[in-house]
Amino acid sequence: MTIKIALTKGRVEEQVLPLLEASGIDCSGVRNKGRRLIFNEDPNFQIILVKGPDVLTYLNNSSVHIGIVGSDILAEQNNPQYAMLDMGVGKCRFVLASTRDFNPQQVRRKIIATKYPSITKRYFQSIGEDVEIIKIEGSVELAPLIGLADAIVDITETGTTLKENDLHVYAELQPVSTKLVVNRLAVKQYRPEIKTFISNLQEAQKTLGV
Amino acid sequence: MKNRNLPSGTRDEFGVRAEMKENITAKLFDLFKQRGFSKLTTPILEYADVFKPLNLTNYRPYQLLDEQGEALVLRPDLTLPVARVMSTTGVELPAKWYYSGDVFRVKKQLSGSYNQLTQAGIELVGYASLKGEWECLKIALEGVRAAGIDDWTLELSDARFVNDVLAALPIPEPTKNALKQALFAKDLSRYKQLCKPLADTAFEPFLNEWPWLFGDFDKVIQVVDTLPEITALVPVITNLKQTAGFIRTQTPEQAVFLDLSIPSPQSYYTGMAFQGYTQNSSDYLFSGGRYDELLTSFQQVKEPAVGLAFDTDALVDRMPEPASTEQSLIYFEADQWQLAETTLNKTPNSTFCLADSLEEAKRIAISTNRKLIDLTEGR
Repeated sequence: MTIKIALTKGRVEEQVLPLLEASGIDCSGVRNKGRRLIFNEDPNFQIILVKGPDVLTYLNNSSVHIGIVGSDILAEQNNPQYAMLDMGVGKCRFVLASTRDFNPQQVRRKIIATKYPSITKRYFQSIGEDVEIIKIEGSVELAPLIGLADAIVDITETGTTLKENDLHVYAELQPVSTKLVVNRLAVKQYRPEIKTFISNLQEAQKTLGV
Repeated sequence: MKNRNLPSGTRDEFGVRAEMKENITAKLFDLFKQRGFSKLTTPILEYADVFKPLNLTNYRPYQLLDEQGEALVLRPDLTLPVARVMSTTGVELPAKWYYSGDVFRVKKQLSGSYNQLTQAGIELVGYASLKGEWECLKIALEGVRAAGIDDWTLELSDARFVNDVLAALPIPEPTKNALKQALFAKDLSRYKQLCKPLADTAFEPFLNEWPWLFGDFDKVIQVVDTLPEITALVPVITNLKQTAGFIRTQTPEQAVFLDLSIPSPQSYYTGMAFQGYTQNSSDYLFSGGRYDELLTSFQQVKEPAVGLAFDTDALVDRMPEPASTEQSLIYFEADQWQLAETTLNKTPNSTFCLADSLEEAKRIAISTNRKLIDLTEGR
């Protein structure tokens, strides 16, 4: 029985591979991937490499059984599947940031630029504020500097990019980390395999100290 | 101009798939009728308020306004309209209804999901006995068999189980709610953290297994047996055991699973719930259960109700395709109509070729891969 895993390529992939290897999965193909996107080196697991937001598309269509993806994407896309395990890697946080002269208490309808409109909307709803949201695809830090928005909601790991652009953190939103997500029906269909996989991963987390 | 495109989330159905869907729908109707259910057809358009009790998780309804500005929807569900009929028409109880039709659920755009789904199901209103659940299960077993699907799993659950166990745990109410959320989301990391205060209590062995409390019926019951006695659970477990026994007597080879870690499909469920799936399906073949609260959003008085809906599209997805049979094309002159009619009746899988010339008939026979029966031969 082959379990199909959609793994977010890039940074998540780099951080998760040691855990998958320590849990006993042959990831040699992913390590030396060249231009390949599908990896069958381990007879029990098929790994595919996809972009973060596509992990849920594959999972929701039952094309894969398991996804490994950041909780930022899960929150933004209202994930309906089971986020069963925190992988303990890829930890960062959502922040509200802006230039030094930004006043969060100012009475006006603020303009917020972000790659994550749903998370931004939920945050401002939770503090009882209504804001204008502008969706930006990248380099969100530019928006308050160029005058497109009053502030931004973005992910930061160390805060370096914010500091380099002279942006200040005004509020901490939710923390972010990489999650193991399982399709709701697959967990029933492949219960023994998925249970063993998760407990192997938990052991691997202890061994590697994550 | 959009006259050559379909709106996102819709599809045409034709050929083999359309025929398979028609066949299984007809077989289900035969089954419902043979067991004495009456047909109930409700409109596709309803007031949005009818569906207020629905917990819309991954979709929203198609919505429009009537002349007075009231919100109308294309029905996203077929059970609530039955409840509306029951509580507004003075139908004598108990009643047994069957229905079939399409429901409309707008899902995420460009995600490969379809927004128009076909269901066929039954509602039993006015029977409080466990026999109601069993009648639904019997129909589920027969319906899936009629579709020619073997090797599938029947899964039982119960809307009361999780709340009854939580009520017995010696932890504050907010922690119970958080624990329930973590359990339902199968968020193992958070669940483990919330269970810490219960380590070394009599509940610990059960709590360690709870998020994984699904699978083979007897194995799940073994875990339930590790719980300290909870009086409220006794009838729940007894019903489940009797039901598993019933299914095994009816169809001994049927795999019976139990899941005691999930929320009920909708908030109005009050007792046992059941679903069916195959090892490869991406949707449940059917889903149903007891919902004695169903009528309370339309009237003050509760009425016992239990029902079952087949996902006709999911059944068709898993049905074996019919073996291809030889098809024939009958060519004849207009004055041979009666002879052609006789030939049509005695030749299975045949159809008239209405072409004007034998040459044209031969061409059609080749292009559609049919055997040509030429009644003009020798004329």
